Parts: sequence; structure tokens; C-alpha cells
Amino acid sequence: MLEITDLVKIYPGPVAALQGVSIEVPKGMFGLLGPNGAGKTTLMRIVAGLLEPTSGTVHFNGEDIVADPRLIRRQLGYLPQDFGFYPHLTGESMLRFLLVLKGVQAPGGLKHLAAELLDRVNLSYAAKRKVKGYSGGMRQRLGIAQALAGDPGLLIVDEPTAGLDPEERLRFYRLLAELAEDRTVLLSTHIVEDISVLCPRMAIISNGRFVADTTPSEARGRLAGTIFQGMVERERLAEIDRDFRVTQGILVEGRHRVRIHVPQGGAPPDGFDAAEPTLEDAYLLLAQTNGEGNGSGTSS
Amino acid sequence: MKKLARCGYVAWSEMRAGLRRPVSWMLWGLLVLTGIPLSIVAGIESGDPSVGGELAYLTSVFAQSKTQSTAALVFGAWFLAMSAGLPVIRDFDLGVLEVLRSTPLTEREYVWGKFAGAVGLFLIFWLLYLGMSAGYFHVVRPFELQPRIGPFSVWNYLFPTLLFALPQVLWLAGVPLLLALLFRRPTVIFVCTGVWFLLSTGFLNPVTEGASDFAVFLDLSGRGWLNRTYLSLDRGVEFYNSAQLVPDPVLLWSRLCIAATGLFAVAVAAQRYLRTMRRGGGVGRKHMKSTAPAATEDALDAADPEPITAPARASRRPLGMTSHPLGFGGAIAAIARSELRDLVRRPGMYVFVPLLVLLALLETSPGQGPFGSAVLITPGVVAATQMTVVSYVICLLLLFYTVESLHKERRRGMHDIFSATPVPTGAILLGKAVGNAAMAAIILGVALLADAVMIVIADALGYSTGFNIVPFAATWGLVLIPAFIFWTALLTLLYSILRGRYSAYGAGLAILFLSFAEGWTSSGTWVTNWSGAGFITWSDMGTFALDGTPLLLNRLLYLSLVPLLFVLAIRLYPRRDLDLAKLVQHFRRRFALAGAARLLALAAPAILLAAILGIGGRRGYQGAAATDWEKDYWRANTANWTDFLMPSVSRVDLDLDFEPRERSVSVRGTYTFLNHRDYAYERLPITAGPWDPIEWTMNGDGHDPGGRARLFVFDLEEPLAPGDSVTIGFSYDVTYLHGMSRRPGGPGQFILESGIVMNDYTLSFVPLPGYVPGIGVDEDNRASPRDYPDDFHEGVTEPRFGWAAVHLHVRTRITVPEHYTANGVGRLVSDEVAAGRRTVVWETEHPVGGFNVIAGRYDVKEGNGTAIYHHPAHRHNVEEMSAALDSARHYFSEWFHPYPWELLKLSEFPAYQGYAQSYETNIVFSEGIGFLTRSTPGTNVAFSVVAHEAAHQWWGNMLEPGEGPGGNILSEGMANYAAMLLHQQIHGDRYRMEFSEDRETTYRLNRRFNVERPLVRTMSGRHVIYDKGAWVMWMLQQEVGRENLLAGLRAFLGKYRENPDHPVLQDMLAVVRDFAPDSAAFDAFTAQWFHDVVLPEYQLRDVAKTREGDEWVVRGTVENVGTGRMRVEVAATAGVRWSDEHEGRSVVSEDYRDARTEVEPGPGESAEFVIRAGFDPERVLVDPDVMVLQQRRYAARFRFED
Repeated sequence: MLEITDLVKIYPGPVAALQGVSIEVPKGMFGLLGPNGAGKTTLMRIVAGLLEPTSGTVHFNGEDIVADPRLIRRQLGYLPQDFGFYPHLTGESMLRFLLVLKGVQAPGGLKHLAAELLDRVNLSYAAKRKVKGYSGGMRQRLGIAQALAGDPGLLIVDEPTAGLDPEERLRFYRLLAELAEDRTVLLSTHIVEDISVLCPRMAIISNGRFVADTTPSEARGRLAGTIFQGMVERERLAEIDRDFRVTQGILVEGRHRVRIHVPQGGAPPDGFDAAEPTLEDAYLLLAQTNGEGNGSGTSS
Repeated sequence: MKKLARCGYVAWSEMRAGLRRPVSWMLWGLLVLTGIPLSIVAGIESGDPSVGGELAYLTSVFAQSKTQSTAALVFGAWFLAMSAGLPVIRDFDLGVLEVLRSTPLTEREYVWGKFAGAVGLFLIFWLLYLGMSAGYFHVVRPFELQPRIGPFSVWNYLFPTLLFALPQVLWLAGVPLLLALLFRRPTVIFVCTGVWFLLSTGFLNPVTEGASDFAVFLDLSGRGWLNRTYLSLDRGVEFYNSAQLVPDPVLLWSRLCIAATGLFAVAVAAQRYLRTMRRGGGVGRKHMKSTAPAATEDALDAADPEPITAPARASRRPLGMTSHPLGFGGAIAAIARSELRDLVRRPGMYVFVPLLVLLALLETSPGQGPFGSAVLITPGVVAATQMTVVSYVICLLLLFYTVESLHKERRRGMHDIFSATPVPTGAILLGKAVGNAAMAAIILGVALLADAVMIVIADALGYSTGFNIVPFAATWGLVLIPAFIFWTALLTLLYSILRGRYSAYGAGLAILFLSFAEGWTSSGTWVTNWSGAGFITWSDMGTFALDGTPLLLNRLLYLSLVPLLFVLAIRLYPRRDLDLAKLVQHFRRRFALAGAARLLALAAPAILLAAILGIGGRRGYQGAAATDWEKDYWRANTANWTDFLMPSVSRVDLDLDFEPRERSVSVRGTYTFLNHRDYAYERLPITAGPWDPIEWTMNGDGHDPGGRARLFVFDLEEPLAPGDSVTIGFSYDVTYLHGMSRRPGGPGQFILESGIVMNDYTLSFVPLPGYVPGIGVDEDNRASPRDYPDDFHEGVTEPRFGWAAVHLHVRTRITVPEHYTANGVGRLVSDEVAAGRRTVVWETEHPVGGFNVIAGRYDVKEGNGTAIYHHPAHRHNVEEMSAALDSARHYFSEWFHPYPWELLKLSEFPAYQGYAQSYETNIVFSEGIGFLTRSTPGTNVAFSVVAHEAAHQWWGNMLEPGEGPGGNILSEGMANYAAMLLHQQIHGDRYRMEFSEDRETTYRLNRRFNVERPLVRTMSGRHVIYDKGAWVMWMLQQEVGRENLLAGLRAFLGKYRENPDHPVLQDMLAVVRDFAPDSAAFDAFTAQWFHDVVLPEYQLRDVAKTREGDEWVVRGTVENVGTGRMRVEVAATAGVRWSDEHEGRSVVSEDYRDARTEVEPGPGESAEFVIRAGFDPERVLVDPDVMVLQQRRYAARFRFED
């Protein structure tokens, strides 16, 4: 169990990256969704023991991580949002080096384990290539492999699917889902799809505050009957935008397909039909309104 | 225009960024703090306040050129490497270039903008420095510098900047920029900067007159040209203060090419950058990641995708991973291995190692011995002389590698992943430190291997005593390895505190710079010297006998600081980004009372060791305790006793019981004073050191002398009438050298297990008669040189050295451990061994001027009335030295005066200082002089130094010169002249000519135009006294004839030997004049060479040869652009003059031919010459036999083109 209590982080400026967030993250996959600059990475780095908070506490399985970040490092798998490797090492060497540092042991030896991990992220074919020759997606997969190493009790993955093609993303989803069965996995992303396919629970963070602590189905369910979709001409867009909360607007064959939120009891504009709410609708509404958009979130 | 604006904006941005970097201000602070002192220290040394007259200005264009050419290199190299090279690498790393590329900014604009920014920033700081420097000199005008400050001229500051500073600034900025774009590794930039910094600073001094245009052309700083053209030969104060500096075509082309190379490097960098970007190589780490794929149309259409559930467990093999955090040692090993693997891959390593080896070898090769000679390449000498360069160069390397190593995870974006591992912070830091230190050790090993190869080769060629690992282990192992460990720990702490590579580099460079300055000025102590530079003066006879204890404590001090530095580094290492709002709380927590107590406990050993070294040093023989009494002595006695003339000492009886292990000697003895003057004495002063308690006697009875501050004044019971004697006795124990030294560096006298060398010349172990004027005198209370009237030599002149006006007999009883040999003046009367102690008695059979004692564990080489006592391993030159000593005794007896003593001894002492000293019958040589001189049949240097010192038995001992101007030339100048004569006698013309030419070069390069006085007025100036003195005697020999001069010298020595009137040059000339065949010519010669300062400088002009019948006719003009008039030969020659020597003598080649004539051009005059030769001349040269002392001999030679 990961418990975050009244966490505040203020950068010089001052910039309040976290404004007193509290949450309890149980075992399993937990998604942290939020727009860019919402404070996700700050929160992740604090939990990973890489950043000192201004105030507040973080406990993992009862141990105070803020007071002694060494406690979390023994049981942590961490994939940062932004990372690199020693460019002159091969993927296999790089991974083995990190396995050694993490104190990982395996029955077949580290070489065998490294090969297995690379296989799981579909990097076996590039194991002997130097990291500096890796593409962005390959580097991301190597990052995932190192995060998985050591069977960590807490796995923090920050924007893990950035750079992965659809096939690799699916592979990674499966891997994460498997891992989440017996540990806490904290997944931070601004890609709604990642959350919707993986996380039984999620929180939405905006402007350094949690605006929702919910489940994807609950978030969607609260919007039932309030999402409408229609095709509109360009001239009407401004009018629609003024009168309704727009959750999506896409240009399709010269016309705009727009999804809007109409509060319960309200009337949609002409040409709009009721639509199935998506998690993205819920996220956008919550992020736009800091949790007050549909009254479905649990403000933290 | 837009291009220029964009480029300018890049430059402006770069400058603003640079101004925000602390390291910029740190370097500027260094520039100001050390630049102004540098311009004072590096001022032109022309003129001398002690002899009156003007001094060379610090503000002249020459002085500013000298300063600025050096400062631009010293400061510019590192500053520009950082400000031009690193920002480009950072832009690569951060992927900024890819973003910039999407703007209208072109690659060329970017590169040139970066270059202009770096250069502009440096020039801003440079102009600020010049402004502050000018303000200091012309506005502040410190009182003590006022005689050296000339009128203000902007040109004097700006011209050197344009000519010397700017071209190298362009080079020093352009080349790192290119390297940055080629390699993208900071280490490559710094290693290469180190290469040209060290090679260029190598140009600062060695490039001197006669250096090739090529060497001058390559000199980055321009200082070599300045040396060659204006500084190596002193031009005089008036010239430096008023003349204009005129660059010649070589310099102009050199400066233009250096500037152009810098700009060309930028152009190549721009081109390279263009190519790199086109290949996509500029994509930084962040930009290697593609953005997240956009949602597909299907995805958009679909509602949320189906949740993914975990596949069945069976579908995946369990990996069976477990995690057990590494132990501390295991983690260190893992990190260290990784660092080492990384380091060996770096190309800088393969540039750096050969550089270090090259520098170290160069450090070994220059002459270290007397007469500019080289010393033998012994392992100890090699290890000790290379220590400074090896220490600083490897510390420089460690600076770059340690900082890069600590910063590389951040640089590569791997910091978060790395820091999230469970490896303890201490293991990370120690692992990196171990990796880097291991690399330093490997480099040290490579340098050792190179030295071993060099020594083995040198041994095969006869230049070495063979390889031995022990000296390297004892010096590099004991001193350097702890220094590297400490330095790595310090750098780790600096990085942890400063949290940035720029700041860490700046701080590290500043510390290295200050340490280097401390070593350069010899101001470091055992407490402050961490680097080991200058620690050890090697002696095969026992290096550590002198400073072994403080050296060991010093190393323990810095090793004991290592845990503290690492603990602090671990606490401050930025593994977790700190919250600034909690900084105070954070520090309070980490350094709370308990933490502080732990830190204090860690610091305690270092504090204790520093205290021992500091207090020990202050109480030791170099400390305040040892010198405070000297000031009191001077204050209490100088007014009353300076002019007090002592009676002669006629007899000395000494009983010396040495205990080398304790550095002590028990002294009992008597001095018998004989009143040789025509007035009576009522009291006698004697100076004794702090050797309490001293028991004094007078004429055998106990006595309690009066006096103050260690000047003991004996009130005589009855006045000492002329011709009467009184005997003063004394008894005490002395520890010499007592306590610890404050800083490395050897004393001239010592009682050590490695050897004993003591004398009566300075106050060390025996009382000195009278008041000793030099004690307690330093820069603060140094008196102006005494002004001697022209006729000062008339009447009785006091002796320059020694205590005896006429006759001194010495009996020395010396007791030492059994295995020591102890030598004193005179002949050996007895040698007995009892109870493990050897007691020898030496007694003079003829009068002497003073006495000394030397003891050690020796082998003996006996000659013909001579003996050489040497360290058993130092046999290399013993045969040659013995032959020289025998020859000297034989021929000097024949030429000057029969040698009156039974045995002439020469004994070796450890090379804590390199000097030789000649007491009657007992010459002492430092091991570096003669014994370890690299003497070959072609140079005969060992022969020369022995001949010189042996000649002092006649010139200095038998004939003791008088106190006053020119007196010392009768000692040192005559000794060199005697060495020339002996060379001629034993080895023939060639070696005498080479020896003479060496002396001439040394004199020319070291003479100071405004300071040099006529020989009869010369009080100081080593090269005037030693070298010009010898040369003038040699020319006098040509003037009056060899046999006439020798007869005159015999008469002179006979007249003044054992004479209470001690002679100076005028006395010698008065005697020799009677032997000159032409008194008028003799007077003309002495007028210009003894009573005036002249130096001819011959130049050949319009030299041509024509064939007339069977002969060749060479015509030309010799112009004397110097001063003085001498008849000088001009020769047309063909063939090589010298062939291989025969039985140690030079032999003229059979195919050599010459034809000669004579000319005598006076100052500013030209003389035409015609030489008829029966052969086809190949060259023409003035003074072919090296008979006339002259300026720029090399310019008076001409070679016909084929």
C-alpha cells in the first residue's frame, strides 16, 4: 500500500507543483492521469525518492520514504518519463549493469536473465547493439526492461508508452497487467487509452491537485446521458464552444465532428445525438473544471 | 544583415549565459588576483635598485607583452576551452540543436555565434583585467612599485593584446569548438587543452636567442619570440622604457597563422556541424523518442478499448528473479569496473598518456648539474624530478575524469534510473573514485614503464646507473598515490557541494592553480602541500633521512582527510534533489550536534596531524623558534659590533662526537686568538647558536661571558696586546637539524644518518668569531651594499672568507659510528675503532683558512696524492674525477704553487642541496655534482667540476681573496680559468673551446646590462664573477703570453699567500703587469676588460670568394656592433675540424684546412679582410679558436652556398 499524505512541492519561482495531495494506492495497477505540467512527474519522482518534497509524507508498506528514501530503492522499479543510458554500452551490457546495481539474482545467472528481460520487451534482436544506435522506441523498451528487473514491490512508470508503436504498446500493456497482479504499479500518463485499458483505479491530477480518485467505469458512468455528438459546420463551432463544454472536435471530410457535454436536463443543440461516454470525455471534463465539471469526481 | 543579427544574437545569448556562470567569475577573479601579481613578478629584470639608477617599467610595452602573452595562455586556455567547447556539447546533449535547426538560424550562424560569444566574453574579462591592472599601476600607484611605473600609455596595454593575446584567444576558442563538434566529449577538449597548454608553457622559457624561426613560429603565446628578440639578452633599462616593440615578419606570420588557424577551425566546425545535422546526428537524447502515436481513426470511432487482463501465468515463463541489494564492497566494485571500462574507451586517454610520458621524459632531460650539464639518468633522480609534472598532470586528468564521471548520469539522462537503484550513495561515490584513481594508477604505471625503458636504454648508452624500482615505489608510491586519492576525494566533495560540472571544474582548476603557485614560490609547507609536487630531493645516500617524518605525517594528514571528505560528499551528493525551502532544515538535520560530533571525530586525526606538522614546523629548524633569536641577535648587536675587527684565529682544536641517528653532535673545543693587529683588545665577541648550556673557558679557566642575544662577549683579564694570544674554550651539545622542517627542501649542512656535512662558514655547529653580519637579516632589514672607494685595496684588506689573517692550524677529533668514514682538513693522524665507534684525528700540517667535516659510508678511490670518497653505487664518474683531481694537483702545483698538503680529498654528500665546497685538503661534493653528472668523452663535465673545485685549493684557499669588489673573482673566476687551462692541457683545444664557449653563452644570457660593473667593481653577479672572470683571464693570457701570465700568477700567489693583506684584482694586476712584455698593451687591455664593461659583437658582411689562379680569395667585412676593441682572427675553413679523439685528446681532422687573418675593429667600426686559401673555402668565421669573449658568436659565422 502506497500512502501519500498532504504532499506539497514548491519549486523556486515559486511554482507550486503539488498543492497538498493525498491518496492511497492499493496493490494493483493505479493510473495517474493529468495534462502536461499537472504535477505527475513531480509526484512520481518524490515517490521514487529522487525529489525531496516541501512537506507531506509518503509511506510504502508503512515505511516513510520521504524521511529515508533508501527504503524505497530496495523494492522499486522505476521508468522515468525522460531518461537515457550510457551510449557506448550494448543494450545487454547496460541492462546487466543495472541488474548488478539492483542486486538482482536469478537461477540462470544475470546473462540469462538479461536475455529473458530483453525478450519480454522484444529487444533480443538488438541486445548486442550499442544503445546509442537505438531508436526512441527501443530505448523506451530497454527502460521498461530495467524497470521490471528485480521483481520490484512498487513499479513506477512515467509515460511508459511514449515512443512505442501500437504492437509494442499492446505487448507492454500485457506485461504491466501481469505484473500488477501481485504488486503496486503506479502508471502516470496523459494518454487516456493507457489508463482505460489497464487501470482498475485511477486518479486525475490537475494544477498540482487530485481532481478525481475513481475507476474508469465509474468516471464514464457518471457521464451517462450527458455526452452528445454531432457534425457541424465551421461557422457554428464558436457558438457550440460558447454554450457547451466540448470534449472532442475532429475535422472529418471537411466538417467538424464535435462531442459535447450537456448537463443533466439540458437540451443538446440541433443535429447532436446522444453518445456513449468515454473515459477521455470524463478526463477532459474533470481536467477542465478541476473536478467540478460533472460532479462525479472525488476531490482530494 | 539578418544573418549577422542572428549570429550576433547567438553570441549575445552565449555571453549572457557565460556571465551567469559562477565559473566565469571565478576565473575572472583568478585573472585579477593573480594577473596583477604576475605582471609584477614577470616584470623585466633590468636595472637593480641596489646599485642605483632607473628600473625597467612594469607598464612598458615590453613588460606588458611579456605579461599578457603569458596570461592569455594561462587563463585563456582553460576559460575558452570551457566557454567555447562545453556549451556546444551541452546543446547536443539536450537536443537543442534539432530545435534550433527548425529556425531560420543556419548552422554557420550558430557556430560562429557561439565562437563570437566565447571570445567576446573572454575579451570583456580581459579588458576588465587590463583596466584594473592599469588602474592599479597608474591610479593606485603603490609606493614600493613607483620606481617601476612609467607614464601611462593606452598603446602599451592594447598593442600586446592585439599582437600576443588576441591571436591565441582566437585559436584557443576556435580549436575547442571544433573538437566539441568532432568528438562531443568534454574530456577530449580538456585533454587537448592540457596538451597545448603544457607544450605552449614549455615555450615560455626555453625559446631564447638562437632559437629557430620554426620554434618561434609554432609558439602559441608569442613569448618565445619575445625572449629571442628582446628579453634573453638584456637590452638595458633605457631601451625597455622608451623603445618600441617592432614585430618582425616571423612573428607577424606566426600571429596571423595562429589567428587564422583559430578562425579556420571555426569554419571547419561549422561545416562539420552542417554535415552532422544533415545526417541527423544532432538529434539529442530527448528527441530520439518519437512522439506518442496519434489515435487512429478506428480508435476515435470506438468507445474505450477493452481492458487488458493479464494473460494466463502459464503463457510466461517465471523469471525467478530475486533482489538482494549489493553489499557495499560489491557495489563499489561494480561501479568501479564500469568506470574503468568507460575510461579506457575514451580517446582522451590515448592522447593523454603519451603526453604525460613525453612531458615526464622532457622533465628528466634538461641539464640539472653544474656548468649547465645534465645529470645521469638514475632511477631516483628520474622519479624525483618527474614528480611535480606527473603530479600536476595526473591531477589535471583526475579533475576532468572525476567531474565527468560524477556528472555523466545527469549528462546522459540516466540520473533517475541510476539513483533509483538500491546502491548506497557511498558506494556510488567510492566506486567512481576507485575507478578514476585506478586509471590514474594505470597511467602512473605506464609512465613508470616508459621511464624504465628510458633508463635501460640510457644505461646501455652509458648515461644511467641502471633501473631500480625502489626509488619509484618510495617516491611515486608514497607521495603521489596518496595525493591522487586525496584529490579524488576532494573533487568528489566539490562536485557534491557545487552540483554542477562548470563550478566543479572552476573550483578544481583554482585549487590546482593555487597549489602550483604555492610550489612555484616555494611558500607551501608540510601542512598545505597536498599534491606532493616538489616534495622530494632524491639522494641515493638516503632520501628520507632528512624529511622522512614530516613527509610521512603529511601523507597521513591528507589520507586521513579522505574519509571526512567522502562522508561529507555522501551527505551532500545530489542523489535526491533537495527542496530549497528546506535547505536550512536539511543542513541542520545533517549537521546536527550528533552529526557534527561524528564529523569532528573523523576530522580529528587530520587536525591532530596538521597540528603536529604545524607546531613541529614552527619549533623546528626552519620555524620561527629557530629564527626569532636571529632577529634579536641582529637588533641587539648590529649597531655596536658590525665594524669590529677580530684578531686572527691561529689554532682550532675540536673534539666532535657525532650521533647521526640523533642528528646530534657533542662539541668540545678551543679557539686560540692571536692578535695580529697593532692595537690591543680588551674584549672579544663570539657568536654561538642556541646550544645552551654552553660551558665557556678562557685560557683553560671557566668563564661567564657577557653580551646579548647570543653574542658572547669575553672581557679579557688583561688586554690582548699585539702578538699575544688568548684561548677560548667551549663545550655543548647540538642537535642539527633539530625538530621537523616546515617545508620540503634541503639545508646546506646537516647531521643525518645518510651523511654528515658541516663547516665553519655559517653558524651551524661551532661558534663563530666576532659578530656575524648576515644573521637575522632578511628583506626587511637588509642594508645597502657597502660603497667601496676606488683605493679600498690599498693597505691591509680583510679576508673575504675564513677566520685567519695568517696562519690557522686545525686539529679535529671526530667520533662517528664505526661504519662511517669521517674526513676533516689536514692529514689523518689516527683512526681507531672501539665499542662500535670510530674516532679519527685530522691535523693540518700547513696553515689553512678554515675547516669542515664530512662523514658517510664510503668506498674510496685513491689517486696520486688524492682520494675520492664516494657512495658505493656512485662509481660512474669516479675514474674521470680521480684523473681530474690527480691532474689538477699535478698541473696546478706546477703552474701556480706546489701543493703543500699531503692528501687532497674529495667526499660526497647527499644531494639535499647541490653544491660543492672546497676547504683545504677536504673538498665536499653533492652527489648530483660530478658523481651523477652525465659526463661523456665529448663533454668531460665531471672533469670540469672537479678541476674547478680543485683549483680553489689554490684560488680561494692558499690565496684567500680580500673583502671587497672583485675579490671573489680571484676565487671563482680564477678557478674557472684554471679549469680551462687544465682542459687545454689534458684534452686539447676542442674541449677547452667548447668549455669556453659554454661559459661565454652562460655569461651573455645572464648578464644584466645596466647592473654589470667593471670587474674591479664587481660585488655580485654569479656569471660575471665565474664566467666573465675566467674568460678575461684567458684573454689576458693571450695578451701577455701563457708562460708570462703563469709566472705572474705564481709571483702573485707567493706574495699574498699567508699574508694578512688579502688581495683583490688590482693587487693581482699590479703583480702580473711586471710580467707583461708590453706594459702599454697590458694597460689598454686591463682598462677595457677590468676597469670598464665591454663586449664585442662581430658581424660578417659582404663575404664573397673568388678563384684567382691556384688559390681562392675570400673578401669581406667584419663589423663590431658591440663594444671593446680586440684583435681577432678571421678564418676561411673547409672540412670538419675535429675527428674522433685519441686517448682522451681532441684531434684535428686530416681533411680540415683553414687560412686566417686578423682584424681589430673597434666599437662601431668595420674592418675589411682578405684571406687567401689554397683550398675552396666552405665557411668563414670570426674567432675560430674561441679566444675573444663576444656577444652572439653564432652571428659571426658565414657559410658559402654550394
